[in-house]
Amino acid sequence: MPAADRLSETFAALADPTRRAILARLALGETSVTDLAEPFDMSLPAVSKHLKVLERAGLIARGREAQWRPCRLEPGPLKEVDDWVEHYRRFWEQSFDRLDEYLRVLQAKEKKGGRRKPK
Amino acid sequence: MDAGSRNDADEAEREIVTTRVFDAPRELVFAAFKDPQHISNWWGPNGFTTTTYEMDVRPGGQWLFTMHGPDGTDHPNRVRYTEVRAPELLAYDHDAGADRPDFEPFKVWVTFETEDGKTRVTLRLLAATRERRDWMAKFGAIEGAHQTLARLAAHLLQSEGKTS
Repeated sequence: MPAADRLSETFAALADPTRRAILARLALGETSVTDLAEPFDMSLPAVSKHLKVLERAGLIARGREAQWRPCRLEPGPLKEVDDWVEHYRRFWEQSFDRLDEYLRVLQAKEKKGGRRKPK
Repeated sequence: MDAGSRNDADEAEREIVTTRVFDAPRELVFAAFKDPQHISNWWGPNGFTTTTYEMDVRPGGQWLFTMHGPDGTDHPNRVRYTEVRAPELLAYDHDAGADRPDFEPFKVWVTFETEDGKTRVTLRLLAATRERRDWMAKFGAIEGAHQTLARLAAHLLQSEGKTS
């Protein structure tokens, strides 16, 4: 899958607050679907549906054991999303830092030039 | 102010907004965005340099430039100005130029406001096409959760060796 499409799928999966809460829970360690469902006012099939979306987006992986299929977080796609957001954040934060510094230098020069007032 | 009054919540979700107050007169800050001699002195993240081929800051005019990354990669850029009101507003579409149609343009509004003798610059970045806007809507949800997720990702990458 092209990187952009994969990123879109990750965003789609993360757009839901329940799914984000599930990820936050999984950050503490791998766990079973039953344990995952507990804090949510939600049926097991509903939670399973969310897990399927997360799994398709590559955000979680599930163990192969038939009975106890533990879920665990996969950091790869999260990292991609983080990189994407960070890219824009960094671009403008650092550009603004540089602009701030540049304006300082520019104004210091103007002051100097103003005093000497070249013809 | 047209750009500033776009308070539609739905649209707000599709934006990335950055704002900063600069200790300089508004005219000078505006000039720093408009003058090719000025802009190459600050544009881009740390370590990047900018080569300008053409810059015409008028509606319909464009700024063609290449950003040279610290790793040696060149990034072609094109900014097409849609609205210019000195010294208060710049609106433009930003993409990677005619050779890179795969790169979806972003709409950008930059407003300049006087605030206690200083200048507040607010930059709004909005996806231009509907597809990208839908995509950005999803992004909007992420923005809120970003801090948590960033920590999460960092934590996971750190402990990856243990879990896998």
